Amino acid sequence: MDLRIDAEDLNSCVQCGLCLPHCPTYRVTGDEALSPRGRIRLMREVQDHGAPITSEIRHAFDTCVQCRGCEPACPSGVPYGRLIESTRETLTGAGELSARPQRLAFSVLAYPRLLRLGSTLLAVAVRLRLAPKRLGLPRDLPLRRARHVASGDDVYLFTGCVMDAWQRDVHHAGQRVMEAAGFGVTPTADLAPCCGALHTHAGLGPDARSRAEATIAALSVDGDRRPIVVDSAGCGAAMKEYGHLLGTAEAESFAQRVVDIQEWLADHLHRLPAVSPLDVCVAVQDPCHLRHVQGVHAATRTVLAPFVHRLIELDDDGLCCGAGGAYSVLHPGIAGDVRARKVDAIDQVSPDLVASANPGCSMHLAGAGVETVHPMELIDRALHGEG
Amino acid sequence: MSWFRRPSRPADPLLAELADALAPDRVRNDGAQRSLTSHDASVFDGGVSGPVCFPTTTEEVQAIMRIAERHGRAVVPRGAGTGLAGGAIPLGAPVVVCTGKMNNVIQIDLENRIAWVEPGVINLDLSKQLRPKGFHFAPDPSSQQVCTLGGNVANNSGGPHCLAYGVTDAHVLALEVVLPDGQVARLGGLEDEPDGLDLRGAFVGSEGTLGIATKIAVRLTPNPPAVRTMLLSFSSVRDAAQTVSDVIAAGVVPAALEVMDQRMVTAIEAYVGAGYPTDAAAVLLAEVEGLEAGVDIDVAHIERIGRANHATDVRLAGSDAERAALWKGRKTAFGAVAQIAPDYYLHDTVVPRAKLADVLEQVYEIVDRHDVLVLNVFHAGDGNLHPLLVFDAREEGTLERVHAAGAEILRASLEAGGVLSGEHGIGVEKQQYMEELFTAADLDHQNRLRQAFDPACRANPGKVLPMGHSCADIQALRAVPTGVWG
Repeated sequence: MDLRIDAEDLNSCVQCGLCLPHCPTYRVTGDEALSPRGRIRLMREVQDHGAPITSEIRHAFDTCVQCRGCEPACPSGVPYGRLIESTRETLTGAGELSARPQRLAFSVLAYPRLLRLGSTLLAVAVRLRLAPKRLGLPRDLPLRRARHVASGDDVYLFTGCVMDAWQRDVHHAGQRVMEAAGFGVTPTADLAPCCGALHTHAGLGPDARSRAEATIAALSVDGDRRPIVVDSAGCGAAMKEYGHLLGTAEAESFAQRVVDIQEWLADHLHRLPAVSPLDVCVAVQDPCHLRHVQGVHAATRTVLAPFVHRLIELDDDGLCCGAGGAYSVLHPGIAGDVRARKVDAIDQVSPDLVASANPGCSMHLAGAGVETVHPMELIDRALHGEG
Repeated sequence: MSWFRRPSRPADPLLAELADALAPDRVRNDGAQRSLTSHDASVFDGGVSGPVCFPTTTEEVQAIMRIAERHGRAVVPRGAGTGLAGGAIPLGAPVVVCTGKMNNVIQIDLENRIAWVEPGVINLDLSKQLRPKGFHFAPDPSSQQVCTLGGNVANNSGGPHCLAYGVTDAHVLALEVVLPDGQVARLGGLEDEPDGLDLRGAFVGSEGTLGIATKIAVRLTPNPPAVRTMLLSFSSVRDAAQTVSDVIAAGVVPAALEVMDQRMVTAIEAYVGAGYPTDAAAVLLAEVEGLEAGVDIDVAHIERIGRANHATDVRLAGSDAERAALWKGRKTAFGAVAQIAPDYYLHDTVVPRAKLADVLEQVYEIVDRHDVLVLNVFHAGDGNLHPLLVFDAREEGTLERVHAAGAEILRASLEAGGVLSGEHGIGVEKQQYMEELFTAADLDHQNRLRQAFDPACRANPGKVLPMGHSCADIQALRAVPTGVWG
């Protein structure tokens, strides 16, 4: 079966195996089929040698978290993300992988009011203990959200879908920090409700592309070239890859405007006032899509350092926490095992708090009792005297 | 929404017994799994394996051995599958024993500088666990971030720092092994001078042909108080090789002496960006360890010898980060070649250090004649050459040229007084050359030792000893089953 993977991309793997320890699913199973090298070998078996799609092969492709920790580990630069995205999109399109539940769930993401209504109902359900435990929902899903208010038009703050419904406070903290640096901020709010990252993950290519096109159109009116600052690592990574997703010059040019909020702030740090740091030791948990995909995780340290007592590194080479968008809901067993490794790494350094710049990671870790905050929340607290 | 259903008890008696002894989800017989275990990181493809088992205890390994024996199946152990000589590939549909789930560090005894570990522990994971306590495990194969200690024992693995510390054999004190008949034996001992024959020494490097190690007692090496890492650039590979020979001759024993040629440096620099000079014909990565006062003297010594051999640049790593980046480049070298071609064949021969420069020139001449591209990266201090032939197997006739060039390189090394393998092992790769290095009597004795452990020839048969010796004869084994993807 043609998985529609570029032949040269597929051939760029020499099967050396250096990716194996950087793959969370290989780490917790020891199973070659659940490793990047194994999955690539299976892609070749299917695409080049006509192997049938068996349940084990489906399982191998379906269980990839798509953290892309294998990419920086690969000395030959295999574009694994492209390989697995093509594979999943093709298999989903052919009905070999079912994404129906995701498709149904994600369809609401483009309708922010509906999403917020659903989210509020979910928040009530969680409080009444009616929500299935498997979903791993946080106890403190918000019942109310403060309104977004634009403070100027220097930059956009991309607010997204689920994060806006569940963690709007983080957006507000990020906006206050950017304003403290002297910038006028326009939250994108309902203007561009969803970037399509979750759809890309689930192999829902057509849906992902239509979300991307809508986002580009909404934020490029009349030659608008404002920077688009993103405080969710997963959304930022997806938007920076719009050029590849859509294959158009317009998408490529849009992608150039996208910047992670830590990355952006690192360039404007000198504009923030000097304040006394918060008296906390903070462990930095790098979201995979910040570290492995965007490669801007150094900025998290740069911007946090002046505002906290001490930063602590985890000794796990940035191995994934198992959140993976909707992954932790779809594969709770593996996701839980992967998270246990991360929790061990955190316990070893016993921090007061864990800083994570991705909503999925922070909710997944909170599910294991780890106290997580977004870096922007910490900086906001330090700046606005809550230390 | 997992697609994977827990399998019910299989109808096939071999599978059913294995599943009863382990657990149904730790005995896999699907096409995907069996196809994946037919490869390691070498150019050799085995047949398709039989059932793939993931034991978690010594008792389970014993049970697998006994069940396989009852069903007349061979057994092949597999760690991370990073071997380069085909040692872990299946011949004759054997039962595969994956050690990945036996990955506990059982005990760390700092006072006696010993750790007991299971075979699936990753080499670098052990050292990372030990470093903060002031120790590490010294053998550091380039694949150390992924390869397992069981694999290191099987292949008697080396690594850049084995120049000063010795290879795996020098760091394994005792072993608990499951013999091919399912019995457990303890080889070696924790005392300085264990009594009796050194069967531990026979087992280390036996490539799975004597049994499966299930517990390994390793020696812990103290971290050095001071480390200096230098990078010397040369305008010819000969100058670099001569420098290595002169450094050792001068009585300096660096922790590591690694040479890479220009093509190799270009490939790794594109990956790590560690500041490797891509315009030098060769670079020498030298590391010295020891007391603070001593290392700078060694550095000055090496620099002087390098300059006498026309080094064009001598650089000292200024920080731990710079040092780490240089090593990251060296240790990911062979994986970086896909930037040049999609396939590689990494060779492994050892030549007397004084002949390094001559043999290298022969290597370049041989590959030119066969129209093959070579990248050279090697443990120069040990005289351990790693010519890396890169090619595209899809081009007709390429693989034949690569093998022909490889054979000539091997012969050139043997003629120079070298040996077949530095650290990758014999596997299926070099079996046929064993007769060129050993006499018939030598091989016969090796075969008899092997049969003492494995009279029925069921432990990784078809490897190491050349065809014609009984355990190399896989004709008697079951043929590859059909319908693998069913």
